[in-house]
Amino acid sequence: MDKRESLWDLYLRKGMSRRSFLKACVALTTLMGLTTDQVSKVVEAAETKPLPVVVWIHGHECTGCDESFIRSAAPLASDVVLSHIDLEYDHLLSAACGEPFERHLDEVIQKYKGQYILAVEGAACTKDNGVYCMSGGHTFTHLLKKASANAAAVIAYGTCAAYGGIQAAKPNPTGSSGIGPFCGSTPVVNVPGCPPIPEVMTGVIMHVAMFGTVPPLDGEGRPKQFFGNRIHDTCYRRPFFDAAMFADSYDDAGAKAGWCLYKLGCRGPETYNSCGNIRWFEGLSYPIQSGAACIGCSNATFWDDGPFSDRLPKYGKLGNADKIGAAMGAAAVVGVAAHAAASVVQKSQREAAEAEKKESR
Amino acid sequence: MKEVKRKEFYVFSPFLRIFHWIMVVMIVVLFCTGIIIATPLQSVNLEPTYSVTYMDLVRDIHFVAAFIFAASFVLRIYGFIINKGDRLFPHFWKGYFYRQTVEVAMHYMFLKFEHSSFLRNPLARGSYAFLYVLVAIEFITGFAMYYLVNPNSVLGSISNWVLIWCGGEMMMHLIHHYVAWAIILFAVGHMYMVIRAEFMEGESEVSSMFSGYKFLIHNPKDASDSDQSGEKHLI
Repeated sequence: MDKRESLWDLYLRKGMSRRSFLKACVALTTLMGLTTDQVSKVVEAAETKPLPVVVWIHGHECTGCDESFIRSAAPLASDVVLSHIDLEYDHLLSAACGEPFERHLDEVIQKYKGQYILAVEGAACTKDNGVYCMSGGHTFTHLLKKASANAAAVIAYGTCAAYGGIQAAKPNPTGSSGIGPFCGSTPVVNVPGCPPIPEVMTGVIMHVAMFGTVPPLDGEGRPKQFFGNRIHDTCYRRPFFDAAMFADSYDDAGAKAGWCLYKLGCRGPETYNSCGNIRWFEGLSYPIQSGAACIGCSNATFWDDGPFSDRLPKYGKLGNADKIGAAMGAAAVVGVAAHAAASVVQKSQREAAEAEKKESR
Repeated sequence: MKEVKRKEFYVFSPFLRIFHWIMVVMIVVLFCTGIIIATPLQSVNLEPTYSVTYMDLVRDIHFVAAFIFAASFVLRIYGFIINKGDRLFPHFWKGYFYRQTVEVAMHYMFLKFEHSSFLRNPLARGSYAFLYVLVAIEFITGFAMYYLVNPNSVLGSISNWVLIWCGGEMMMHLIHHYVAWAIILFAVGHMYMVIRAEFMEGESEVSSMFSGYKFLIHNPKDASDSDQSGEKHLI
């Protein structure tokens, strides 16, 4: 592919109408989480911007993010991979393999220096020089450094790539971490989630492709349009929380009636994601809607924030912080009483000593 | 009847006293509502249409109390500026503060019969500075959680940094919850120590928080440090 096509070129080549092109642009605008007054900008970008070259690499992970991605319904994942982006290298989806495939990666990096988008799934494994995650005869961190140095932007798909994910859970035997530290000065977009919502994955890559810049990011490097709200604040079960109608266990009447899962340890109040707005699989459902408490899968340390079924962590037989706090309060009262008794004794001793002193004078 | 001569010392300005009692009420309100927010009581309603939004109300009380508490620091700081007797923090930078603190601590650990009398007990003053640190942690984490409802707002984006310092939203919630318990533990010790000072050592630690004056038989070591002009107001 010498002359890189824009989306409009592609539509022309396929003989598709201007009308369907504009419809696609409107759909893209909403997918990227933009307001409708941005449509003209999207159309302009789609007419002029060449389709982005994407290199998609996989580190320490389960490829569940890919499973999520290929279920993207709008746009269809097949549309994204085959027509909206120019996917040159992908560990999972590519048919090619072996040495020619690795050589192709080097060629792509050289040819599209500073232009291609690097999508990364999976954590970077650092312990013992990163030998626990190898790819093409090299460590994954080597591949990551090589590919990110010349990329226009890096998209970290999934909690693993963003923060380390399940590999980084205590005790983190492989020394896994997020990919950020290996990307140098290349801008990184964190798209956490285990996995991220498919439409969020496609939306972010389309934003970078269309505008050539990373979307507006929050303090943790996440795109604001998708990670701007707590699930608790967008949850359709929120009215039950406000009315204090809670499910106490997964088999009680409250759970059956679809009441709030806060008491069952729902992490909605601690989690920023689009599950409450976009939901999953064309708005079919999301964990809370299907009756399971949110586990906060887009949080950096969610694997260690257990148990998922409790609001407050338990400390063995001592119980949670409220029990420990009440016990410490009671102990403090007892200690204070003991101190008061001892003080009375001390005072009487002191007065006796003073009286003795006076007498001896 | 035994007659004793007492000297009066003006220590606490009205601003500080009002602040103190606002703080007492707000800590109680904030702690109680906070515990309910963390472990809600089940509503007796079975039909959401007719239910009162009781959790919403509890949360609103918590937020309003937090704002009143934060705003009451204006009184505290204003009193500190215009009143010689008010101190925001003990004089950490002076060596005698530490010597006196050790002396008082020795007495409280029964290693000494008594400690010299102070208008401002250095150990207690140190513990109040510690309380302010705890309260500051509660303010920072609490308002961060509050403003992160809209992370795009100015205060929301500032709160985002708090989130990063805490190491995640979950940790921020836990810090807020645990420090609340620490404040309650402080309150237990504080109440005991002031009552002990009032009734066993004749230090009028409790009454001065109502009247502003300490009426003492003995001459405290830091007597020169009090606002003598206050005496004029006494009839």
